[in-house]
Amino acid sequence: MSVYKHIYRTYDGRVTPAWTRILVLSRYAFAEAWSSKITVGLFTLCLLPPIVFLIGIYLANNPIARALMGMRGPQGLVINAKFFLILLQVQCWSALPLASWVAPRLITFDLADNALPILLSHPISRFGYVLGKFVALFTSLAAVTSLPCLLLFAYQGYSSPLPWAGANLQIALGLLGGTLIWIAFLSILGLALSSWVKWRVMATGAIFAATFVPAGVGGIVTGVMRTRWGFLLNLPFMMTSLWHRLLGAPESIRTDFLLPTESIAAMLVLACLLCAAMLNARIRAREVVRG
Amino acid sequence: MGIIDLDGLEVRLGGRLVLDGLTGSLEGQAIGLLGPNGAGKSTLINTLLGFHPPSKGTAKVFGLDSQRDRARMRGGIGYMPENDSFIGNMSGVRFVRYMAELAGLPASEALERAHEALFYVGLGEVRYRKVNTYSLGMKQLIKLAQALAQGPRLLILDEPTNGLDPMARQRMIQLIKEIRKQGNARLLISSHLLRDIDETCDEVLILKGGRIAALCNIEEERRSNRSFIELETVGATEQFSVSIRGLGCECACFPGGRIKLVIPDHIEARDLYVIASEQGVQIRRMNQRRDSLEDIFLRAMDNELGRTAHVSV
Repeated sequence: MSVYKHIYRTYDGRVTPAWTRILVLSRYAFAEAWSSKITVGLFTLCLLPPIVFLIGIYLANNPIARALMGMRGPQGLVINAKFFLILLQVQCWSALPLASWVAPRLITFDLADNALPILLSHPISRFGYVLGKFVALFTSLAAVTSLPCLLLFAYQGYSSPLPWAGANLQIALGLLGGTLIWIAFLSILGLALSSWVKWRVMATGAIFAATFVPAGVGGIVTGVMRTRWGFLLNLPFMMTSLWHRLLGAPESIRTDFLLPTESIAAMLVLACLLCAAMLNARIRAREVVRG
Repeated sequence: MGIIDLDGLEVRLGGRLVLDGLTGSLEGQAIGLLGPNGAGKSTLINTLLGFHPPSKGTAKVFGLDSQRDRARMRGGIGYMPENDSFIGNMSGVRFVRYMAELAGLPASEALERAHEALFYVGLGEVRYRKVNTYSLGMKQLIKLAQALAQGPRLLILDEPTNGLDPMARQRMIQLIKEIRKQGNARLLISSHLLRDIDETCDEVLILKGGRIAALCNIEEERRSNRSFIELETVGATEQFSVSIRGLGCECACFPGGRIKLVIPDHIEARDLYVIASEQGVQIRRMNQRRDSLEDIFLRAMDNELGRTAHVSV
C-alpha cells in the first residue's frame, strides 16, 4: 500500500514480540501524561524538596560551608533515619497530586471515547492493558520518590567522612521499600478510580477523597469506639507507621495506638485487591448487561 | 477448513442465551452477516474476537480457537467496531500508528503504514487533525484505516455504513469492494442493510434469534437468478417462444404476451432482441431478477423454526 498507489496489501514483515506490546501502551501513556504542562509543573515542584535536602546534606558534611553561613556546629543537621524519613514523607505525599493528575489522563481518554473495543481487539489482554498503564504511572512516580531519595542517600554516603552508607543500609532499603509500596498503591488506586469516573477532574478529586475521606471515618471509629483499629482506614497514619518501621526510626505516637505491621500490610493488600476488582469490572471491551 | 468455523457455538450473556448452537463453515472472500436487530450479529463478532467466552462449542478463525489462541488469532484480524471507538485526543495518524504498533508492527513500519492507510481511505489531508474534530463519516473511515494499517488477513467490519450519508456510504462500499477485489484480505461484514451486503459480499450468514436462519453463497444465487428473465411482448408471442426455445431456453408463456424464461449461460439478452426483431415482436419490458438476497432474507425470516436453510433457487 503506497500513498500514491491506492491499493491495499497485507503486512508480512517482522512482528514485534508479544510482551513488547505492553511497552507500546506504556510509551503512548507516557506521551499522553507528559503532554500536559500541568504534569511538567507538578513534576518540577516535586523535585524542589530534594534540592533543599541536598543542601542540608551538603552543610551537614561540610564544616567550612557551615562556618561561612555562621553555623557553629552540625546541630539540627544530623543525617540519620529521621532525616530520611522526613524526606521520604515529603516526596511520597508530593507524589499524590502528581498521581491524581496523571492517572486519569491515562485511562479516562480511552473510556470517554470508548476506545477499549478497538484497543483490546489487538493482541493485548486486559491485564496487559492495565499493566502498560501501570508501568507508565509507576515510573513517573518513581522519578519523584524512589530516585531522588536513593540519590540523596548515595550522596550522603559519598559526602560523609565516615563509612556511613554501609552502616545505614537499612535506611536505603527502607527508602526503596517505602517508596515502592506507596507508589505501587497510588498507581493501582489511581487507575482503578479513573476507570470508574470518566470525567478527569472528578477522577482527580476521587483519588484525593479515597486517600483522606476514609481517614476521617477511621478517626470517628477510633474516637467513638475507643479502638485503635479505626486507624486501619487511615491511610496517612498507616503509611507513616510503615515508613517509620522500614527506616528504623522511632515512632512518636502513643504505643496503644500502634498498629501491627501485619494488619497494615493486610489492609493495603485488601485495598489493592479491591482496586483490581474495580479494574476487572471496568476494563472490558464489551459491557454485559445482566438480566 | 474455512476462514471461520463454528461448531455448536453457544453464548450466554447475563444469563440470556444469545447465540444458540451455531454450526457452519464460512469460506467466502467477503462474508456478509445479516439479521434483524438483536439477532446476535455483534455477539458473534465479539465472540470471534474473544471478547465473550462461548458457554458451549467453539469458534475458530483461520483454525485458531477464539479463546485458547486469542492473541495469535487477533494478530491476523483488523476490527472496525460498530459504535464510535477511537482516542479523540490523538491526531489521526498517531491513532492509526498506535493501533498498528499494538498489532505488532515495528514503530517505523507502523508509521509508514498509518500514512498509507489514511491516504487509502481518503483521510490523507486531515491526518494531523485530532480525531475528535472529525465528522461522523471521517470517524467511520479512521476506524477502517486503523483496521487496515496492520495488514490483516481478516477484516471484520461491524455496520460499516452506520450513520453515513449517501455519498459517504457509497465511498465506504467502494472501498470495501476494492479491498475484496484485491483479494489480500478476507472480509466479514455485519449489517442489517441488505443492500450493503448484496453489493459487497459473496457469501451470507443470516442470523435470527441467535440461530442460523440461512447460510448461502450469494454469487451462486446471483448466477442462477441472472438467467431468469421475465418479458412483456406484443406480437406473435407463440412463434417467438418457439424460436427462443430453439436457443436452448426454458420458456413459459402467459396471457397478455408475458413470457418467463431461464436462459443458458451462453445466451445474452441481446440474442432475444435479435430474434424479436426478426419476427416483428416488440419487447416492451425485460426484467432480470436482481433482488436475490432480499428473497433469501425474507425466506430465512419466514422460517419460524429458525432452522438452517441452505437456500437454492
